[in-house]
Amino acid sequence: MAEFHTEVFQNEFLSEGATDVHAIVTVTSTGAGTAGAASATGTVAEIVMVDTSGSMQGPNIDAAKYAAQVAVDQISDGTWFAIIGGSHVAQRAFPYPNAPVAIVQMEPGARREAKRAISLMSPSGGTAMSTWLRLADQVFSHVPQATQRHAILLTDGKNESEPRAELSNAIRDVTGRFQCDARGVGAKWEVAELREIASALLGTVDLIANPADIAEDFRQLVQASMSKGVADAELRVWAPQGAQVLFVRRVAPTVEDLTARRTEVNALTGAYPTGAWGDESRDYHVAVRVPSKPVGSEQLAARVQIAVGGQVLTSALVKARWSDDDSLTARISPEVAHYTGQVELASAIQEGLAAKAAGDTATATVKLGRAVQLAQETGNDEATSRLRRVVDIDDEEKGTVRLKRDAAKLDEMALDTASTKTTRVRR
Amino acid sequence: MVSLVCASCGTAAQDGSKFCEQCGSPLTPPVAVPPAAAEPAVRSCRACGGQIADDGYCQDCGTPAATERDHWSEAPSVTLGGVCDRGVRHDKNEDAMALGLAGDAAVLVVCDGVSSVPDSDIASLAAARAARDVLVEGIPEGNSGTARVSAWSALLVRAADAANRAIMTAVGDMAVRHDPPSCTFVAAVVDGPHVVAGWLGDSRVYWLPDSGDPIQLSSDDSGANELMALGLPRAKAESSPQAHAITRWLGPDATDVVPRTAPTRAQGPGWVLVCSDGLWNYCSEAAAMADLLRTSQSVAGSAPDAIAAELVRWANQQGGADNITAALHRIDVVPGTTTVDTVDS
Repeated sequence: MAEFHTEVFQNEFLSEGATDVHAIVTVTSTGAGTAGAASATGTVAEIVMVDTSGSMQGPNIDAAKYAAQVAVDQISDGTWFAIIGGSHVAQRAFPYPNAPVAIVQMEPGARREAKRAISLMSPSGGTAMSTWLRLADQVFSHVPQATQRHAILLTDGKNESEPRAELSNAIRDVTGRFQCDARGVGAKWEVAELREIASALLGTVDLIANPADIAEDFRQLVQASMSKGVADAELRVWAPQGAQVLFVRRVAPTVEDLTARRTEVNALTGAYPTGAWGDESRDYHVAVRVPSKPVGSEQLAARVQIAVGGQVLTSALVKARWSDDDSLTARISPEVAHYTGQVELASAIQEGLAAKAAGDTATATVKLGRAVQLAQETGNDEATSRLRRVVDIDDEEKGTVRLKRDAAKLDEMALDTASTKTTRVRR
Repeated sequence: MVSLVCASCGTAAQDGSKFCEQCGSPLTPPVAVPPAAAEPAVRSCRACGGQIADDGYCQDCGTPAATERDHWSEAPSVTLGGVCDRGVRHDKNEDAMALGLAGDAAVLVVCDGVSSVPDSDIASLAAARAARDVLVEGIPEGNSGTARVSAWSALLVRAADAANRAIMTAVGDMAVRHDPPSCTFVAAVVDGPHVVAGWLGDSRVYWLPDSGDPIQLSSDDSGANELMALGLPRAKAESSPQAHAITRWLGPDATDVVPRTAPTRAQGPGWVLVCSDGLWNYCSEAAAMADLLRTSQSVAGSAPDAIAAELVRWANQQGGADNITAALHRIDVVPGTTTVDTVDS
């Protein structure tokens, strides 16, 4: 049985009249076991969606097919699975379109046959990812007993065969039905589209520059999915009567604003989805505004809890204590400061790249300069090295940069995709 | 009577045996589990009345639960009750209160732990309870008012002495510390129309009659009072830096533990208030205290513990800079007077 632990990092001291309480809550799960153990009982399902549009012709489709076969090898016996080929329409590749069932449990025969089905996939047509997501949702719906549902989506191009709103509608409709990691190969896909999918479906987004690397990525994704023994945990935030939850963000391993994903548990408690958990650790930034109290008062500002199947497994206490001692109240929690900087870093990168794409060089220079500065301040060396491929840095501390004239599209996309990846606080 | 079973060998013990007949092990009688521990009472929040969660904070408003030591109330009879509270600014409640009945007489004891000295909360609670126990046991004989009053006065001196010895026992090795735990002492006994006050330090007794002039029965052993004795006006004396330095107290380093006592006779119905400086700091003059009591009564009704709770709430609202204790006893019927009929008129 999985165990969850929470740890709170905050400065609970507030000066007189102050109302806003910030805390970083680290949630760690241990003993989450593996989905493999659960797969024997048929509670785990995995779907791989591979782009089979005409643009995949050449090394991309070969690499994608090989990667899908590698993924099939990693899926544990007993896990429900299906393979979907996607273009301007979606089609089930395995189980075969004429098969009587939409999804089967993995066993050696199914594995062999699935790999053969994958080898028969061939590229043609356009790209309408809404149809892929809707077909995956429909296939998953055949196994209601599978509570842990994960999918991988791979594309190499833009969602050009349908209006943008179609994709957003489909994402909204399937949100909460399954989790999905989204991958783009090459430099012709749209970061914003895949980010929207991964963000809503509690997955990750990443760029694979070289088609030869898809297989390794798929292998890791399926392995990670198979090692998650907790199907669905929710983060609950209780705030006292009269208080307001300003925001709830996951800040590690990547930034994801969960504020709008709140569903009500009761009048004072909201639940935010976190998806499946393996043995891992995540950080959340919770901000609550409470009515100010007299100096000397103490107040519980939030209970941050992890609940699985409606059962609260752990509860972290975020406190507020009003004091007139400046040496106590002036200190900012290093964890809160660190992640506040990292969140600003992510938006500076995204806004800077958007401005650059729109031809607004001035804004792009300012934003990416700020990003360089923040990356340095928060010790995010990976972000710094990705930024270096897009801008020439004159002064790292001041954030003075010049846009590179010949920055490669791939480098810009890599910077964009990885913008939400955070580093943890050095303790 | 529950018959005992030997914890070592399981043999049933004979009634009255102290050791097991079978193996000779000492027999331990089953420890009576206090009802509170057997079934933890649902604690309610003192700020909003909500339920206190297992994590020690209110489920609704997030206010930390007051521990029993931080906030409690006592109401030994319908005319006697009080509340002892940590206040807002202090981390600990170093005030203590002990109320009791000595036959028909009411006993009110308040001790205020010296907050500049660690562990004074231990001293104050031990002292208040020991003094109360002496006072409720020693009901004077005889009907003569004068005799009873002087008996109570003597008993107050004994009670203070018992309180001081209780502190010694409670603080143990801390007694030899450079600044040993210590506290003030104030007690009032209300026997019919007679009110006898005894005190060491600056916790107070007020007599607040329904009609007529309210008065402070005790006289602080404090820097402020010494300054007033030297001619400084009250307001100036009480706001001076030395105002709160008490000149007499209970504790290992106390040199004089004989309380001053003062008897008075109620001429009509009214309230005896025993309180710590956590309350009177916001309302020192007897007349102002009488007004505050009347206001509190109009909010809280006639139960003394409810009025005391309202006084404490009010003091917390003023800032709650210190621990707050308020204990009240109602004198309703005063024999030999005719003012009874005018109550609440």
